Amino acid sequence: MKETLEIINQMQADGVIGEYAIGGAVGAMLYLEPAATLDVDVFVALPASRSGLLSLAPIYEYLKARGCAEKEEHIVIGGWPVQFISPKDELEREAVAEAETADLEGTQTRIMPAEHLVAIALRTGRSKDYARIVQFLEQKTVDREKLESLIRKHGLTSKWDQFKCRYLEGSRG
Amino acid sequence: MRKELAALSFSEKVKILEKLRDRSLAFAETRRNRKEMDVARSVSNSKK
Repeated sequence: MKETLEIINQMQADGVIGEYAIGGAVGAMLYLEPAATLDVDVFVALPASRSGLLSLAPIYEYLKARGCAEKEEHIVIGGWPVQFISPKDELEREAVAEAETADLEGTQTRIMPAEHLVAIALRTGRSKDYARIVQFLEQKTVDREKLESLIRKHGLTSKWDQFKCRYLEGSRG
Repeated sequence: MRKELAALSFSEKVKILEKLRDRSLAFAETRRNRKEMDVARSVSNSKK
């Protein structure tokens, strides 16, 4: 993973990508106990092609020139399949802009804030996302006021109410 | 236990994550090999 992050940081230093933030299970791991995952989700503003479409081509060209191989929707960097994801809305853009810095044996990386990870998981809404939200809340790794304000700001109030009803019944949720 | 794991540094968590990944990849590989052996065995039995 260290090599993976070093290469991503080098991509940023070389101007291939801008500011990035890790989300998904690897991002959640900064705040929670490690959970098995096979890939790394990197949220990054993708450069637009001449036609105006967002394109992964510059990223893939850069990485392939350095020996990285494509594997389905991922590209394998330093042994880890990495998926580059363009933030699709304000919530994800904010998550990238406000990312926390984490250190992996001397290599710095950027990880989405806990509250944004929870809000994104709430919006995504798969069982594994809900399970992760419960972990965040049980382990008190989120600022509840900040989270609730984020939920209101990004129009997720009804999803949050449904989630609380279903998963936090009987707790202080 | 979960709290203790959550309190580890990011570097320590990544080491655990890598072990989990290696273990699940090895498990998947073993299952694949076993499946292939089962298929080969059933083909060989059907020829007898």
